[in-house]
Amino acid sequence: MDILIQNLLNALQWGSFYALIALGYTLVYGVLLLINFAHGDVFMVGAYIAFFVATFFLGFVDLSPWLTLALTVPLTMLLTAGVGVTLERVAYRPLRRKGAHRLYVVITALMCGLMLENSNLALLGASRKKFPELLDKVIYTWGNVSVTNLKLIVIFTAIAVFILLEFIVTRTKIGMAMRGISYDKFAIPLMGIPIDNVIVFTFVLGSGMAGLAGLLFAMSYPILEPYMGALIGWKAFIAAVVGGIGDIRGAFLGGFLLGFIEVGVVALFPSTYRDLFAFSILLMILWIKPTGIFGVAKTTKI
Amino acid sequence: MNTLLEVKDLCVKYGNIEALHGISFNVNEGEIVTLIGANGAGKTTTLLSVSRLPPPEAPKVISGEISWKGESILDVPPHEIISKLHMALVPEGRHIFGNLTVEENLKLATYARKDSAKDINGDYDRVFSLFPRLAERRKQRSESLSGGEQQMLAVGRALMSKCTFIMLDEPSMGLAPLLMYDMFRTLKKLNQEGLTILLIEQNANLALKFAHRGYVLDTGEIVAQGTSAELLANPEVKKAYLGG
Repeated sequence: MDILIQNLLNALQWGSFYALIALGYTLVYGVLLLINFAHGDVFMVGAYIAFFVATFFLGFVDLSPWLTLALTVPLTMLLTAGVGVTLERVAYRPLRRKGAHRLYVVITALMCGLMLENSNLALLGASRKKFPELLDKVIYTWGNVSVTNLKLIVIFTAIAVFILLEFIVTRTKIGMAMRGISYDKFAIPLMGIPIDNVIVFTFVLGSGMAGLAGLLFAMSYPILEPYMGALIGWKAFIAAVVGGIGDIRGAFLGGFLLGFIEVGVVALFPSTYRDLFAFSILLMILWIKPTGIFGVAKTTKI
Repeated sequence: MNTLLEVKDLCVKYGNIEALHGISFNVNEGEIVTLIGANGAGKTTTLLSVSRLPPPEAPKVISGEISWKGESILDVPPHEIISKLHMALVPEGRHIFGNLTVEENLKLATYARKDSAKDINGDYDRVFSLFPRLAERRKQRSESLSGGEQQMLAVGRALMSKCTFIMLDEPSMGLAPLLMYDMFRTLKKLNQEGLTILLIEQNANLALKFAHRGYVLDTGEIVAQGTSAELLANPEVKKAYLGG
């Protein structure tokens, strides 16, 4: 029983990371039908931004770790959102203006991801960075179950982000516009809605949350390297597809599902089987429901 | 009479094909004007050009002028066509947001409105009294509506965006005759309350009975124009578009 709960908590933590990244894929896909393959690397950039912001406040300004954390959270989210918006501005928007086929935009996204990785490599070198400690580690134990305060923060953050996004998307006008675009982009300007504003807002949300995930990830696993976003980005993307890409609930469900499957596999089999088993299970889910769990096939009426 | 929309010598390209070869027409305040013509004559292209939709949806204006109340709108961004100039387009195929409810569709149309909640609520009441069917279905996902109800929603949405001028692209398409007459009666009523209408129709008979004036478009050129009575009596129009 204790082992089960312990694994459950680990799964929730990993699922939270996947979910926070997956929602960036899903938001952008929902609005632009673009698979933003640079998103995993935006997560990586987010972790580095967090590193520089935290190091700056700790080392140069000499703030307390708590105050540093309080400043690092919003600044990381803001600056990472800036990175996402910049990508949209310089890479995706010019192609969209020219009416380029989606294939070329996806390729552009892949290239942008590689550029982010390699500019990191070029600017900072291949050496890894050690993320500073911002939180005094507290371990809570019940019987054989132990959980750190950080792990709980990660899980609660993911849940809070989910609630916030659900609220934005279902209750606000800009959220409604985001859902509207996903169904019919053509009619958006006819409603008096500047389409670019909605797109920028979408990138702000997605990249901001990737920045938050980057910060939390760096705090949990404090070694940073330029390729840290690649695999986790792919996994989060697959999680988003399995949950039903374009749907926020799907991103979270898919993320947590992947977390559970991975931790479950490792609990029962040698850890080298983890990714093979995890993706085989996800593949089977797609066999049964190719649109993903929350995905719906679009129908139109003549 | 005040001229609202004036199109002058408009040449438009769709991809590499010139779709309009220098057409001119105007719409005055309070009028119902119709553009009739066969499939592919350039009717939809005309409306899309006037709506200033961004590429790739919209055709490219290569020469000529489109002006609203005397001022060129060629550089007006598409969302300001409705939010600043109050010109609405009900596009062909309706383009409602099927994943949103009826109410959300209407609400989204108020996105750019800056007037009071009281005015906006008044407009909801107006739309629901014009189209009681929409009131009954306000919480339904709009893709579950019938074709006729979707058309009502598309018009209702245009009204919620506070238009004074509405462009309708084939509103009769796919509608049962009874619903079609209902729709045109409602539009007539809106016109009497001050809404200016530019209507595109393949059903020339219906359009000319409804409109004050009309233009006949044929392969990107205007080949006839006049009051509806004149066009209905014109032997060539009769032969080509009115079935005898």
